[in-house]
Amino acid sequence: MLELLKIEWLKIKKYTAFILLSSFYVLGVVASNYIVHEFKKNVVDKVQGSQLLFSGSPYDFDVVWKTVTYYSSFFLMLPALLIVILISNEFGFKTHRQNIIDGWSRMQFLNVKVVSAILIALASTLVVFITGLIFGFASGTSFSLNGFENIGYFLLKAISYNMLAVLISLLTKKSGVAITVFFIYTIFENGISLLLFFWAIELKKDYNFDWGNLGNYLPMNASDGLLTSPFQNFSNMASKFLPTDFNWVVLAFAIAYLILFYSWSKRKMLKSDL
Amino acid sequence: MAVLTVKELSKNYQNIKALQQVSFSVPEKTVFGILGPNGSGKTTLLGIVMDVLKATGGSYSWMGTQQESSAEIRKKIGTLLETPNFYHYLSAKENLVIAAKIKGHGIENIDNVLKIVNLYQRKDSRFSSFSLGMKQRLAIASALLADPEILVLDEPTNGLDPAGIAEIRELIKELNRKGKTIIMASHILDEVEKVCTHVAIIQKGVLKTVGPVNEIMATGTSEGIKNTVIIELAADDNEALKNILQSSNDVNGIVSIDNYLQITCNENISASAINQYCFNKGIVLKMLSEKRKNLETRFLEITGNQSDK
Repeated sequence: MLELLKIEWLKIKKYTAFILLSSFYVLGVVASNYIVHEFKKNVVDKVQGSQLLFSGSPYDFDVVWKTVTYYSSFFLMLPALLIVILISNEFGFKTHRQNIIDGWSRMQFLNVKVVSAILIALASTLVVFITGLIFGFASGTSFSLNGFENIGYFLLKAISYNMLAVLISLLTKKSGVAITVFFIYTIFENGISLLLFFWAIELKKDYNFDWGNLGNYLPMNASDGLLTSPFQNFSNMASKFLPTDFNWVVLAFAIAYLILFYSWSKRKMLKSDL
Repeated sequence: MAVLTVKELSKNYQNIKALQQVSFSVPEKTVFGILGPNGSGKTTLLGIVMDVLKATGGSYSWMGTQQESSAEIRKKIGTLLETPNFYHYLSAKENLVIAAKIKGHGIENIDNVLKIVNLYQRKDSRFSSFSLGMKQRLAIASALLADPEILVLDEPTNGLDPAGIAEIRELIKELNRKGKTIIMASHILDEVEKVCTHVAIIQKGVLKTVGPVNEIMATGTSEGIKNTVIIELAADDNEALKNILQSSNDVNGIVSIDNYLQITCNENISASAINQYCFNKGIVLKMLSEKRKNLETRFLEITGNQSDK
């Protein structure tokens, strides 16, 4: 696999979109957290009574892990977009055929893409981890790993996005179509997820059924639902009405969807004409 | 041992039967031509044996190995399939490094193969800046990279200028002289005739005939195909000429081509006999030529003188 990954690296290291999207991602993660940090310090803290909703600094250890992962997660579209472009390029240039003609098996072609997607997710998470460290230490609080599971949730979300990107690219084969499908799907799913969330609230209120936030059991929202806003006071106040967060169930769904994405990609790769 | 054996290979695209139970073997150290009109199934056939297309039925085997383990064999085959497929944003050399690494081969041969196809001076240019002919030559360089014992070339002279075509044909013959097996698909009869030792003729996905080129061209070799003589002739009045030829029992077919007629006769008829016949009927010929029986005439006999639609 190491040899295959080295070959993948040869393909992407000089690719402009790779350099641009990676730079935008790092910039986006750092800048968004900086903006939140400054907004809290210079605006929110100056409003009377805001302490009721937002207490303490969101960048103090240990809440910093929750904060950086939550705000950085909005930029996970960028690595996923990169994966869509990289895989669609293979189809556009027909180099996927050439790689197999030259001696890769179909499974090797798929697996090196999947491992690359996981490595890109790890790299994306590392950027967020380092950002968390910098903001945490800058806040003057002492280092803590409490809440570090949020970094794990972030990694899971990054892998989910990237695996969906792999699947959609394999199914559509065209970068324009793949990007459109990817964005429309995520927007559509968010809409459905919100409706399911309201439904879950009603179920709890009217029938006392608490099956958790049903919206979080959808493919992209499963990994998304584990990352929650650091400003939880409002949610805490409303917890009586809200469905319970069954994190383990959501986690199980997220992993099940990952298995589904991989199995579907594998089936597509092995069975179809390239 | 056969380099490649295909057995009852079929491929359907919805209702279209692109290949229908094609079976043949490619002997070692031959230049094996797969000849057929556009859309006859040549590229589909090669796509299946290179595992980029899935067959609807049948099987294939490289050097007697199982189909499932063909990836390792493909590393030892130099292939150019349909179009040159490279990363547009990388240079010629960078693209060949990727191909060499996939083949598990060192990169030391890259400069050499670029020199063979006259691209060494442009090795650092991006693939996207190449002309069609240059792209084709880079694809041939890539196929030669691992010094393979087997080459699979689909329309190898596509997009090349006349000098380039001659160079590639010479290169193929040279590689064959060195003992390499070359499987080459082409719709250019002249190319197959000049280069190949063996030929399989495919039409509409059906294998029409297969064997050594000299046997196919020799009389009476192909089962079910009657051998004929083709004569081209003209007189001052071609209509009158056509009328008297139609009444001859020895003439099987007449085609008007520009200002002359092309007739197909039984194999025991010579040009002089036709000349005598016409003269006896009061028509003096102003042009008469017996066409050499080449692969083109055989091809037309076998495929029926019509392009596939």
